[in-house]
Amino acid sequence: MGHLIANAWLRGLVHGALLITVLMTAVAWISWFERKFAARVQSRLGPTMVGPAGLLQPIADAFKMFQKEDIIPRGADSLLFRLAPPLTLFLSLATAAVLPIMPGMLASDLDIGVLYALAFSGLLAFPIWVAGWSSANKYALLGGMRMVAQGISYEIPMVLCALVPVVVTGSLSLSEIVKYQAAHHWLVFWPPGIGVIAFVLFFTTALAESNRIPFDIPEAESELVAGPTTEYTAIRFGLFASAEYAHSVVSCALASALFLGGWDGPVLPPSVWMLLKTAALFVIVTWVRWSLLRLRSDQLMALCWKYLVPVSLALVLGAGAWVYVVG
Amino acid sequence: MLYLTATLQSLFSTLRQSLKKPTTVEYPKVVRPRAPRLRASFALTKDAAGDENCIGCKKCEKVCPSEVIALTTVKKPSPITGKSRGYASDFTLNLQGCIICELCVQVCPTDAIVMVQDQEKPGFSREDLVLTMDKLYDNGEKKLRLSWANASVLAEHQNPERKHA
Repeated sequence: MGHLIANAWLRGLVHGALLITVLMTAVAWISWFERKFAARVQSRLGPTMVGPAGLLQPIADAFKMFQKEDIIPRGADSLLFRLAPPLTLFLSLATAAVLPIMPGMLASDLDIGVLYALAFSGLLAFPIWVAGWSSANKYALLGGMRMVAQGISYEIPMVLCALVPVVVTGSLSLSEIVKYQAAHHWLVFWPPGIGVIAFVLFFTTALAESNRIPFDIPEAESELVAGPTTEYTAIRFGLFASAEYAHSVVSCALASALFLGGWDGPVLPPSVWMLLKTAALFVIVTWVRWSLLRLRSDQLMALCWKYLVPVSLALVLGAGAWVYVVG
Repeated sequence: MLYLTATLQSLFSTLRQSLKKPTTVEYPKVVRPRAPRLRASFALTKDAAGDENCIGCKKCEKVCPSEVIALTTVKKPSPITGKSRGYASDFTLNLQGCIICELCVQVCPTDAIVMVQDQEKPGFSREDLVLTMDKLYDNGEKKLRLSWANASVLAEHQNPERKHA
């Protein structure tokens, strides 16, 4: 297969450790970037005090999170309450295992990589629901229920859009899909028209899956305090926050692997291309977050079931027809 | 469709905003120029020879809407000229109740009480907010930034002419 490390177990261990390190570091400074960007949109300065241009702010935040008092509410289901935050982070990071960073470098070259990534991404609704349920708090419970409703609904168009590259390339392996794109066309341009729409819809549903604005009804600050994470304090809350960012980043990386050619690109080394594409997508995610309003619950469902699902079904059909006719 | 155009519009407007220079400045490092008519605290002035301007006429005490000015008058010879005239033997202005209306400055016949743009430092007790006569004369000598208005400046803006100036 041409991997850098031949032994599969060792490869998984090394690449996994590397991926987690890179991802968690990225998550820390992504939070800095997001705060800076939000500040600029609102004509503020953002963090400036800790380090040059506030660059050490994430470290200060982490220390703060560790120092805060850890509170488990009376009446909460203690075991589940403790289990939910690490489980959320675990599922967010686990998705990254199948991401091809560069040729021959990925933690686990599953031949059903796409399925695996989507399955883990879909599972994320579960620990958040656990958090909402175990908190013994009505806001948390409502938020958890909304998360489940949203997660299950948006999983369908997301999977259907991810099916377009699978149909075109004839493979469920992410590394094979990227190799196809490197050899032929990026799937955002191919099949013409269908690819672009599939990419935009996939990106939209990925936003909803990682419950970012405008799809953040589980969290909905103005209605539900902080949704499922209302009762969480200290580093447990920090785990949720970093899990959300990690999931966003992994979704962006998944979108760039599926549609934007992954590590494929001229001049620069492959891993840099992959990082650049992911970063660019994440900038868009942040930009969207600070521009749009939250959808109402019913609007969210209407958007999913009335528009996204039929359109993505049509896209899969179109991609199938394209493959049948053009080959 | 409406939602789509609105989405694009808001995306465009946030992008444009994010490229502009932020309005916020970091206050202790960057101090914006203060408005010329900003009023923050008070000072009592002395004339060029070093004699106190205040003649103890109690106009400020009478006009003060929140009754925070208290002064007692004494008639004594001036330490500078030797002539006998009225002086304030004690003057207190309680900033806790002051509404910064500037009326005391407007009625002062000798420009003795003026307002300054520099705020008093915060303190730990209520007494710190009471401007005693010493503090007021200190403020006058500290060369603080004066507010735009004093009694004669305001008088120039008015008709008829004042008798004393």
